[in-house]
Amino acid sequence: MSWLRPRRLWRPAPLERHYEFVIIGGGIHGLATAYYLARTHGIESVAVLESHYIGFGGSGRNTAIVRANQRTVENVRLYEEGLKLWPVLTDELDFNLMFFNCGTLNLGHSEAAMNGIRMLASTHNLVGVKSEVLDPQQCAEVIPGLDLSDRPAFPIHGGLYHPPGGIVRHDAVVWGLAKGASARGVHIHQGCEVQGIDTSDGRVTGVRTSLGSIGCDRLGIMAGGYGSAVAAMLGIELPIHPLTIQAMVTHPFKPFLHTAFSSGAYHVYANQTLKGEIATGAHMDPQVNYTNDATAYYLKHQAEALVELMPALRGVRFMRIWSGLADMTPDMAPIMEGELGYEGLYLDAGWGYFGFKSGPVAGKYMAQYMASGERPEILAPFRLGRFLENRYSGETAAVMKYGHWD
Amino acid sequence: MTFRLTCPVCGKRDVYEFTFGGQERGPRPEQDGLSAEEHFRWTQFRLIPNEPQEEWWYHGQGCGVWFRTTRDPGTNREVR
Ligand SMILES: Cc1cc2nc3c(=O)[nH]c(=O)nc-3n(C[C@H](O)[C@H](O)[C@H](O)COP(=O)(O)OP(=O)(O)OC[C@H]3O[C@@H](n4cnc5c(N)ncnc54)[C@H](O)[C@@H]3O)c2cc1C
Ligand SMILES: [Zn+2]
Repeated sequence: MSWLRPRRLWRPAPLERHYEFVIIGGGIHGLATAYYLARTHGIESVAVLESHYIGFGGSGRNTAIVRANQRTVENVRLYEEGLKLWPVLTDELDFNLMFFNCGTLNLGHSEAAMNGIRMLASTHNLVGVKSEVLDPQQCAEVIPGLDLSDRPAFPIHGGLYHPPGGIVRHDAVVWGLAKGASARGVHIHQGCEVQGIDTSDGRVTGVRTSLGSIGCDRLGIMAGGYGSAVAAMLGIELPIHPLTIQAMVTHPFKPFLHTAFSSGAYHVYANQTLKGEIATGAHMDPQVNYTNDATAYYLKHQAEALVELMPALRGVRFMRIWSGLADMTPDMAPIMEGELGYEGLYLDAGWGYFGFKSGPVAGKYMAQYMASGERPEILAPFRLGRFLENRYSGETAAVMKYGHWD
Repeated sequence: MTFRLTCPVCGKRDVYEFTFGGQERGPRPEQDGLSAEEHFRWTQFRLIPNEPQEEWWYHGQGCGVWFRTTRDPGTNREVR
């Protein structure tokens, strides 16, 4: 029964001294880009360089919520395509990504928030994405146990219900993409830290790594929250603040929470994993940093917020807490750019805490961008240059309270 | 793990007593002749290598003083 024997999902590969395409970062953005470069564009010489292990970054640390309920049409379009990719990729990679289409509910705690929620619903309906405005009673039907009284500091005024959303097993996405990329000839090198980027005559020529120099024709910086540090190797300034965002899980119990929910006012989002734990986050520490520090301060905050929204959770225990990086842009939209002052250099960054749901679709279009050298139309709103032209994305008009800069 | 910062008035205190004020970047550019692009770059763009940087902090839940310190974003700790 050879099929029962454990097998490696991806193959170790020899480290070559030159690749046509080198991707910095073995998260889902880097792995998806490599996968699509090989699969769709038939490129045979692709390497993914990962300083730690694949999934070390945000891709293995996020709370796994996927949705397409952004504030602007440009963003909704991209995330909607991303949402539709989960079942497609499950088939294509022949790997169970554990997409659980449980829907999401964003709570509103004031009339201003409800007006924001109404605008969100109309934006979604305009582009054919399903969302509806719920009153407090309807919210409690979706999320049993919500405290609808006026006891909470921020009473519940209603919510935005978004049935197409859900959760996906994040490790499975990392492993599945690595499997698919490796099967198509992509070399994945773990423990390979990029320490410098070589250029000549305005072109990228390669990278210096902990495993020696590697030449390349095109280079993708897809290092998640570490993107600023990698760009800094070339002196490239970015409108990005890398901040830690913390998450935690409770002990597992009987399924009762059948929809992922969030509350901007309480700065909390939560879902019950398929194992039964409540996975919840997340506040961000305000100082720029590249650590994975977690603190008791947010355990306390999270416990207070959850119990206030859902009193029955009192006494439930947290089992684990961790953190990862969120690379925040001023307009809460990502940056996908191939015009950085060096030919052959591409950047995919600034995904904040939205980069899991968008990983595969970003990879699909970054691969097209890098392979053709031409910016796909759908990526036009995500140029870096928008920040120098005062053309910010309208995402911050959504109801959530964002970081310390708003 | 949380960490502590050294307030020049109060000494070492928990970081959550402070507000992050961003990198020390010298004086803001002269307004005279400042192009829109240079202005937007100054307000939003940052170089953040993974190495110690000089920063501003505000001891809001303490003595209320603004001060500068050098901190390593790779470890979160002050470097003195
Ligand atoms: C707690 C938390 C909760 C989140 N919740 C959600 C959510 O519910 N939904 C959602 O959509 N998003 C969420 N996110 C955001 C999401 O996880 C990230 O945006 C996404 O994982 C980014 O993927 P990536 O592939 O770009 O980067 P990463 O997964 O961070 O991968 C980058 C990789 O680059 C490597 N690297 C860095 N520097 C170098 C170097 N010099 N050389 C070589 N390799 C290097 C790192 O080791 C890392 O593995 C959350 C994030 C966190 C931390
Ligand atoms: Zn003080």
